Amino acid sequence: MAKKQRGKSASSSKTADIKQQTDHFSLMLESSDDEAPEEVTFEDSKAEALRSMKQALDTARREKEQLKEKRRKRQELFQEQKKRKLLPADVLEEIDSAPSQTQKQCQEDAEEEEQEAEEDEQRKKKRKRSGKLAHARNLKGNYTVQTAKERESASFQQQAAEDFLQSRMYGPGSCRTTSNELLSLQNKTGRNKSAAVQFVKKDWACNEKAKAEKLKKRWVHKQQIPSC
Amino acid sequence: MGEFKVHRVRFFDYMPTAIRAMAFNSRTERLALARADGALEIFNFADNYFQEKVIPGQDGRAVEALCWVGQRLFSAGLNGEITEYDLENLRPRYTVEAYGGPIWTISSNSQGTLLAVGCEDGTVKMFEILEERIQFQRNLDRQKGRIISLSWHPSGTLIAAGMMDMIRIFDAETGRATHRLLVERGVGASKSKEVVVWSIVFLSDHTIVSGDSAGKVQIWDGVTGTLVRTQLVTKWDVLALSVSNDESSLVAGTSEGTVVQFQFISSTVGQQDKEWVRTRTFKNHSHDVRALAHTETAVVSGGMDTQLVVRPLLDKVEKNTQESALRKMTLPHRSLVCCAKKAGLLLFQFPDHLELWRLGESDGHGKPGDSLPVKRKPEKLIQLKRKGEDHICCSALSPCGGWLAYSTVTSFRLYRLQNNNISITKVSKLPKDLRSAHQLCFSPDSSKLFASSSHSSVIVVALNQPECKYLHTLKPKSGSRQPVHLLFASEDGKWLATANTDCEIHVYNLDKLKLHCTVPVYSSCPTAIAIHPTTSNLVAVHADQQIFEFSLVQKEYTEWSRKLQKQGLHSLWLERDTPITHVAFNPQNPAHIILHDTFMFCIIDQSLPLPEAKTPFYNQMTLRSLPEPQRIIHSHAFKICKNFQVPLY
Repeated sequence: MAKKQRGKSASSSKTADIKQQTDHFSLMLESSDDEAPEEVTFEDSKAEALRSMKQALDTARREKEQLKEKRRKRQELFQEQKKRKLLPADVLEEIDSAPSQTQKQCQEDAEEEEQEAEEDEQRKKKRKRSGKLAHARNLKGNYTVQTAKERESASFQQQAAEDFLQSRMYGPGSCRTTSNELLSLQNKTGRNKSAAVQFVKKDWACNEKAKAEKLKKRWVHKQQIPSC
Repeated sequence: MGEFKVHRVRFFDYMPTAIRAMAFNSRTERLALARADGALEIFNFADNYFQEKVIPGQDGRAVEALCWVGQRLFSAGLNGEITEYDLENLRPRYTVEAYGGPIWTISSNSQGTLLAVGCEDGTVKMFEILEERIQFQRNLDRQKGRIISLSWHPSGTLIAAGMMDMIRIFDAETGRATHRLLVERGVGASKSKEVVVWSIVFLSDHTIVSGDSAGKVQIWDGVTGTLVRTQLVTKWDVLALSVSNDESSLVAGTSEGTVVQFQFISSTVGQQDKEWVRTRTFKNHSHDVRALAHTETAVVSGGMDTQLVVRPLLDKVEKNTQESALRKMTLPHRSLVCCAKKAGLLLFQFPDHLELWRLGESDGHGKPGDSLPVKRKPEKLIQLKRKGEDHICCSALSPCGGWLAYSTVTSFRLYRLQNNNISITKVSKLPKDLRSAHQLCFSPDSSKLFASSSHSSVIVVALNQPECKYLHTLKPKSGSRQPVHLLFASEDGKWLATANTDCEIHVYNLDKLKLHCTVPVYSSCPTAIAIHPTTSNLVAVHADQQIFEFSLVQKEYTEWSRKLQKQGLHSLWLERDTPITHVAFNPQNPAHIILHDTFMFCIIDQSLPLPEAKTPFYNQMTLRSLPEPQRIIHSHAFKICKNFQVPLY
C-alpha cells in the first residue's frame, strides 16, 4: 500500500515538474520545437510495471516446469537402468519394512561420494525404491510416499536472496571503493609519499604477453636455423 | 655460526573469512561466531577469550543468523534450513527445512520454548523447541515483503519484525500483525531505493529500536506505534544492533566500521526523564561491522575485516588494568601447519584443500641474524582438494613424510606418499571406527596414527604398508563428553598425551595401551602440550598463559614447575593476549623449551634463573650489548624474540 502511494506521488510530481520545465523552456527560447514531451500517464507506467512483474513470474514458473520435466526424465532413465539390477523379491520386502526416515536419509547420503562398497549397494537399492515410489501413488499395502528433495527451485530463491544482499552491500549507490584505492590514497597523503599500491599491474594483458613470448622464441629459432 | 638455522616460510597464504553473525550466551560466557564460509567458532570469554571449538563449514551452508537456546546452538541461513549443532562432537546435529525460502533471521523467546525465523517469502515461522529437535508450530500472518530481522519482547507475547520500508509488530499468540511502523527512506539519491531495516531490538518497556540501511537508528514506541526519536548515525547502513542485558546500553554497528553506543540516561543529573543518548563511537574495524554482541562489561564486534574485537567499556571495568584492554582475535588459536621433521616437508591446511611443500635448502654460513642464501627454493609438491561438501577439520603428516591424513565431519581419508613424496595414493580400506576425527597425530616412527573421536576417546590405528588396521580405542576414566583438541605422541613412542576442552589432560601408555595418569585439572583450557624426548616431562601451556611441567615417570609436577608456580610468572608474560599454540624442544640442549604465540617466539632455558617480577622481561636486545659476566646476572630463563612477524608454526 505504502509503496504504491509513494510511487504515485513520485511519478505524478515528476510529470508535473517536466511539464513546468518544458513550458518554461518554450517561453524562453521560442524554439521551433514547441511540442511538449510525451506525457506518460500513471496508468501506462502502472500497466508497464505490472506487465514486467507478470513476465518475471511467468519466466520463474516456466523455469520450474522445465526443471520438473528434466527431473522426471532423469527419474525414468534411472528406473530403466535399475531394472537390470533388480534384486529378489524377499530382499526388497526386507527393505520395505525399513522406516521412511532412513530412506530419506539414505537418499541424501546417496548424493555424497564417499561410501563403503557394501553400503553403496544397499543405498542404490533404496534410491531405486523411492524413485519408483515417487511416481507410483499406489498407497496399498505398506508403501510410503515421499517427495524427492526439491533443490532446484530452492536455489533460484537462494540466488535471488544472495543477489539482493550483494546489490545492497556492494551494488550501485553503496559508495564503496577498493582497498587498492584506499591504500594508494594513504600512500600519497601520508608523511613519506610513495607510489600507489600496485602501480604496475603485473597481470595486465598476460595473454598477449605470452603470445609475444612465443612469437619471439619462434623468430629467434628461425634466425638460428639458416646459420646452423 | 648461530644456534639455529631458521626457515622463514612466507608462502602459507592463509586467508581468514569474514564474520557474519554472532551470539553471546551470558550464562555460560561463550560467544558463538559464524563465518562467511559456514564455519562456526566458540570462544570462551571466561578463559582469556580462548577459541575453544571450531566447527568447520560446508559448501552449501551460508549462515545468516545464530541463536543460543540454553546450551543449544541454532543457526539459520540462506539455504532455507535451521541447523542445530552438536557442540560435543563438533558437527551439525540435524537440519530442518523451513520451507519459506532463504531465512534471514532467527530468534528465540526468553523462556526458551519457541524459535521464530524470518523468511524471504514474508512469513515468520514459529517452531517449538523440544528435547531433541524442533517442530514446526505455525506461521504468523504472511507479509508482502521479506522479513530481515526479528526481535521478541522479553515477555514472549510480541514480536517486532524489520522488513523493507517498515516494521511490523505481531502478537505472538494470535499471529496477527497489530502495528505497522513506516520507516522513512534516505534523502537524496537513496530516496528511490527501499530502506531495509537490517536489525531491530524490542525492549521490555515496549520501546523498539531499529537500525536501517539509510543510516538511522530510530526509537519507536511499540504501544502506540509512533516514532520517538531518529538519530542519523552514518551515511551508510546500520547493519547490526545489540542491547545489554539490563537494557541501559545499546550499540549499533555500521558499514563504515564504526560502532556507536547509545545509553539510556537522563540529560540532567538526578532527573527522572531518561532517554537514549548517543555517547561513544568506536572505530576498531576497517570494513563493515556485521555482527555485534553486548556483554555485561564489553562490546564485541566482528565483520568483514575478519577480526573479532572485544572492547571493554570503561564504566564497567577498572581503567588501565588488563581487563580493560582492547582485545583483537585475528588468527585461529590452533595450528594449521604440520611439519614432517625428518623429511623436511610442510603441510598447510586450508578449508578446501591441503598443500604439501618441501622446504628449501641452504648451506651457507653466517653470523647470527644473517639471512643465508637459498640454494634450493621451496617447492610445492602436492595440492590435494577435498572431496565432498564439508570443509577440512584437521590434517596431519607423518614425520617420515610417507603418510598424509585429513578428516572432515563426515569422512576420513588416508593417503600414502611415495616416490620421494611426489605420488600420492589413497588408502581405501579404512577401519570402520575411523569415521571422522577432531584431531590427528602420527607417532614419531610413523607406525601408528592417533585420531581423536567422540567423547574424549582416541582411536589408535596401526599403519602397515599399504593398509591400516584398527588397534585400540583409548578412553579416559572421567567419561568426559568434550572433544579432544590436542594430541601429542612422545619421541620414544611410549606415551600419548591428550587434552580436551574440559581442561583435562590424560596420558596413555602406548606399550600397554591403557591410561597411565591424569594431570590434575587446572581451571584453564590447555592450548599446547608436548612431551620432552629425553626427560619424559609433559609441558602444558594454558589459555591464561600458565605453564606447567609434569613428570610422567613420577606422576607429579617437577621441581622446576613448582619453583615457577611459587615465584609466579612475570606480569608481562601473563598480559600477552594470544595463546601459545606450539611447544617444541631443542635436540641439542635438553634444558630448552621453545614456545610461540601469534606475536613472538620464546625459548625458556630451564638452567637459568627465573625472572623476578621487577626485572625487565624483554631483555634480549640489551643483553647483547652487555659484556659477558654481566650478561649472566641479568639473563633469565625467558628469552623472547619478536623478529619474526606472526609466526603460525
